[in-house]
Amino acid sequence: MAEAAHEESGPLTTIVNDWSSDVSTFKAVPWGKAMMWIFLLSDTFIFTSFLVSYMTVRMTSTDPWPEPSAVFALEFLGTPVPLLLIAIMTFILITSSGTMAMAVNMGYARRKKQVFWLMLATALLGASFVGMQAFEWTKLITGEGVKAWTNPMGSAQFGSFFFMITGFHGLHVSAGVVYLAIVAWRVLRGKYEHTNYEIVEITGLYWHFVDLVWVFIFAFFYLW
Amino acid sequence: MATAEIPYQETMPLHHPKTWIGKYVFSQDHKVIAVQYGITAIAVGLVALVLSDLMRIQIAWPGEMAWFVEDFYYQSITMHGMIMVIYLLTAFLLGAFGNFTVPLMCGARDMVFPFVNMLSYWVYLISVIILLLGYIPGLGGPTGAGWTLYPPQTITEGTPGADWGITTMLASLAVFIVAFTMGGLNYITTILQARTRGMSLMRMPLTVWGIFVATFLGLLAFPALFVSAVMMILDLKIGTSFFMPAIVSLGETLAYDGGQPLLFQHLFWFFGHPEVYIVALPAFGVVSDLISVHARKNIFGYRLMVWALVFIGILSFIVWAHHMFVAGMHPYFGFFFATTTLIIAVPTAIKVYNWILTLWKANIKLTVPMLYALSFVLTFIMGGITGLFLGNVIIDIPLSDTYFVVAHFHMVMGVSPILAIFGGIYHWYPKLTGRMLNDTVGKWHFWITFLGTYIIYFPMHYLGFIGVPRRYYENFDSSFYPQSAQDLNELISVTALFVGAAQLLYIGNLIWSYFYGKPAGDNPWGANSLEWCTPDTPPSHGNWGDKLPTVHRWAYDYSVPGAERDFIPQNVPQEQTA
Amino acid sequence: MAEVGQQHPIKVYALVWLLLFVFSIGSYFVDYLDFQGHLRWFLIIVFMLLKAGFIVAIFMHMKWERWTLITAILVPPLVLLVLMYLLAFEAEYAWASRIVYFGDEVSPIPAPPPTHVGAH
Repeated sequence: MAEAAHEESGPLTTIVNDWSSDVSTFKAVPWGKAMMWIFLLSDTFIFTSFLVSYMTVRMTSTDPWPEPSAVFALEFLGTPVPLLLIAIMTFILITSSGTMAMAVNMGYARRKKQVFWLMLATALLGASFVGMQAFEWTKLITGEGVKAWTNPMGSAQFGSFFFMITGFHGLHVSAGVVYLAIVAWRVLRGKYEHTNYEIVEITGLYWHFVDLVWVFIFAFFYLW
Repeated sequence: MATAEIPYQETMPLHHPKTWIGKYVFSQDHKVIAVQYGITAIAVGLVALVLSDLMRIQIAWPGEMAWFVEDFYYQSITMHGMIMVIYLLTAFLLGAFGNFTVPLMCGARDMVFPFVNMLSYWVYLISVIILLLGYIPGLGGPTGAGWTLYPPQTITEGTPGADWGITTMLASLAVFIVAFTMGGLNYITTILQARTRGMSLMRMPLTVWGIFVATFLGLLAFPALFVSAVMMILDLKIGTSFFMPAIVSLGETLAYDGGQPLLFQHLFWFFGHPEVYIVALPAFGVVSDLISVHARKNIFGYRLMVWALVFIGILSFIVWAHHMFVAGMHPYFGFFFATTTLIIAVPTAIKVYNWILTLWKANIKLTVPMLYALSFVLTFIMGGITGLFLGNVIIDIPLSDTYFVVAHFHMVMGVSPILAIFGGIYHWYPKLTGRMLNDTVGKWHFWITFLGTYIIYFPMHYLGFIGVPRRYYENFDSSFYPQSAQDLNELISVTALFVGAAQLLYIGNLIWSYFYGKPAGDNPWGANSLEWCTPDTPPSHGNWGDKLPTVHRWAYDYSVPGAERDFIPQNVPQEQTA
Repeated sequence: MAEVGQQHPIKVYALVWLLLFVFSIGSYFVDYLDFQGHLRWFLIIVFMLLKAGFIVAIFMHMKWERWTLITAILVPPLVLLVLMYLLAFEAEYAWASRIVYFGDEVSPIPAPPPTHVGAH
């Protein structure tokens, strides 16, 4: 009854009521989900610190900063297409987010098999993202001569930040692939039968966060 | 307020180990983890204490210890600072007090994820071990860059430990942050999602509030340190130039170019200033509870105390560059950061006034925990007021890097939190072990420590005013350095050695009382908060027996007119006391 | 209010998926068509925020959460804007100082970006 009363009132009332209630502040949020959200909040601060550092060093650099769209161009049918690989990687990550969202949906419908296959697809897309990133790194290191400590096209920090930030993001993706694989396997084995399959949603939160970070890296690193 | 169902806490599955190792070593019980955190933090803190005494000997009687060379002095400064701030204070206040009090005071059976909580301790232990790896002989010793680790000097030749020492330090910090994150997520989630029936946030004891806000600050501030540690390791090991400008070191042009050293300072203090409050806020909370319990009076202005904690927490993220007034940052920043810094004085002053007003006309019991709590207020006022000096750019500039700064931060975030820790241990020891600590030893330790720290740090303000620089290995021959300053230095050092040795009294008391202390009973202090209502003392695994307690009131119903006793525990229904 | 668990029609996800593609193509064309200056920044930020917003709101189910969770998660990062703003503010000062004090040895004006559209 009290719950219904809260709903009719505005956001501010909801917030005040929830924060002044007993037992739990985030109503109907499982412990694991609350914990994941707070972890992601903390992780946001990590990635923002990286990106802000990148901004600071790029803005203070007096050496020329290479043009990312030219550096990351790929030859396609004889013409260099800027950012082609990055575009493909972006689409892959978005697609994996889509399959993950569907896995969450299937989870709450308790369709174990579909959850497993969708999560597996997500993990494979994630793995292919990491593979393309490895290709991109190789091309940059061997082809363009960009190293973490030097860069023939200008400011050395270009390479430093590129490898550090995409590397850290790549680590997150790789960890996510492992996480997804483990959860998918345990779903298939029926480990979560007695629960509400909220674990799938929690895993999904992490995965979407990885996608979210990529949105910002794409904007600030490749388009600036 | 509707008393909601308790969906999960009541029946939360707990890990019941069969073996001794499962019970006391790899335990998932929050109380055991708290003790593990506490013992490790105290042990590593003793190392830092010994280092500070060695430094004091060097400062007062330069050259008397021939083996205590310049490098070792700088390494001691660095290790003393870092250990005290991170591995003792943060770990103790959040790891030990946080683990012990949060589930008990919120009425939970344990932390929400006991396994992660256990991992948190073991990762913390690993970080301590990595830190101490800096002392492996033959590798150049730990870093001597000062606890702020400013590049470029941190990783250039000539700074002790510029290769191996700084690596272990940064790695250890990164690992510590992982440990803290695992623990911190648990504290936050427990406080937010796993309280018992009737326990609203505004009925929580202030200890839990302090730990809650501090943990939140930690989760948001440690990332900046993590990032700067990663970037510095890359600068050192791979040769990137994030923080390193083009530089000539020892006559040799290094390969670095184009980095921004100020960026490190910004990141470091974006972490470092909240860190001050990560240490201070739990201490505020503990002291508020101690004062209220032992003065037999409700805390004055409870709501304002809570909001002051929250407000200090928010402000701490926008004041960081007041540590950098002489760093050469943007000249306009001085005004902005001085203003925000001085605004912090408002909520802090509210807290101090509320402590004093709680004491006003109260039935003050001068028990040992109360003595520590009262002394906390005194040292905190002292350190807080010197903070106002240093928060103003124009006063800070001449005082920067003098002993005034040393005096300020030791008073406000060294001595004060330590006194709160001593008081807190004294207060909760009976619940943890079922025995009281020895009062006589406790009083001796208190008076030696309290008066001793005043004798140590008060004269340092004077030293700062006459311009004695901090971190110098030897000042004796400088012409501006009067004999009176050297005399004071000797006084400080003698006292420091004495106070340092006196800490053994407290540790001895902890050990002796565990076996021979007076049995405490369930509620020796007559306190209200939930941890004193457990069916067993010490609380068993799962804390509450079959049924979780239900909370009917705040934690501060002391000396209520018309009530039978001078305290009404939180689980007593309103009707029974009407 | 939110049930325990978040179940929403697949159609919504598919729509957002499509939208994210569109926005990504949009931001890609910002680069491909070589917009410069304020227009470029405006478009980059708009597409970025749109994408981020849809991911958080739909895929991460923020839209269906109670206001308590939404505000608790989305408000604290605002302090990062302070950090970002102040460091950007200072970076310009640092850059100018470098030009003033080391001006001779560096090229203050970055080399003009190579044009790639229509090259070859």
